[in-house]
Amino acid sequence: MARRALWRVGGAESPARIAHLDRDRPLVEAAKRDPAQFDALYRRYLARVYSYAYYELGNHHAAEDATAATFLAALSNLPRFEERARPADGEGASTFRVWLFQIARNEVAAERRRARRRPTAPLEGALTIADPLDVQADAERLDDARAAWQAVGRLPEDRRQAIVLRFVDELSTAEIAGVLGRTEGAVRVLIHRALRAVAGDLSRPE
Amino acid sequence: MTGPIADAFEIEALVTDRYLDTLLAGRPDVAALPGSGGATDVADDPDGLTAAVRAISRRLATDLPRFHPSFRFEERLALRLAELAASMRLPVAAGGEGQPIPIRALQPLPDLEPESPDAASDDRRPLLIGGAVAASAISLAGAWLAWRDRRRRVT
Repeated sequence: MARRALWRVGGAESPARIAHLDRDRPLVEAAKRDPAQFDALYRRYLARVYSYAYYELGNHHAAEDATAATFLAALSNLPRFEERARPADGEGASTFRVWLFQIARNEVAAERRRARRRPTAPLEGALTIADPLDVQADAERLDDARAAWQAVGRLPEDRRQAIVLRFVDELSTAEIAGVLGRTEGAVRVLIHRALRAVAGDLSRPE
Repeated sequence: MTGPIADAFEIEALVTDRYLDTLLAGRPDVAALPGSGGATDVADDPDGLTAAVRAISRRLATDLPRFHPSFRFEERLALRLAELAASMRLPVAAGGEGQPIPIRALQPLPDLEPESPDAASDDRRPLLIGGAVAASAISLAGAWLAWRDRRRRVT
């Protein structure tokens, strides 16, 4: 069963919001020298990749399968990966993250194709399987979260992916552009449209 | 969308993007940005659209949780990755990634070079004979010579 991460997006206990280039590069280089060192990268990105898969697939088991496939593929192909981000690319630039989420996106798509043959739990149901702390959470806030989540779940696939990558995985617009294979400007418009749609959806009386 | 409307929308998207950068970086100055609430919102954004986008941005930043898989899954996958890492290290340890060294034809050392082609052809020594065989051959030859010498002396 999935458990909620200890930190929340936007929470006070959140770690640094933007991963600096220098945070990934030494770990990537160490893992290339000694594959056992990949564990550090795995621990750093596990929750993010899992969250992305969970939001996309809406199913705990399918998300686990996609997450496992993502990290196994990343480790297998790490000798061929090249960090191309430069400091000039921006504070949060890291091609490793982009590369990792590109793999995750492919694995989620593959998992979705496999999952067509088996029933999946709806995304909005996932909030009810979070950890027991949620039971104690404020009911109104939980309703808000559920409503926001449902609204995001109703977005077209590309907008939903952009929103999850931006808000949950905290990728920059440039990084999302790399993951989705679009231009930075197109991603900005995509996110802006998605926010307008969610705002309209939530303001509509039920 | 074309022309000025498209441009206006892209500018709006750019402004939203900058707002999100500030919001998601957790910087305290987000409250001071236009559209973050307060009386100036209405004047800056008469249709309330930008304010609505920013309000929903704040809401999503707070309400969309990040999930973590179970510890059991985490450790099971860590083990699989460690096994894969070990199998990736194995070829390196065994010299699997080294450059192959071409094997050249053996050349005789200068000191051992035969003086003439005839001398080389006279060399009837077998190429590959173990030391024990060679030593036996020498012993047999010596025994035969000693036997023949003794016999001559007797006759």
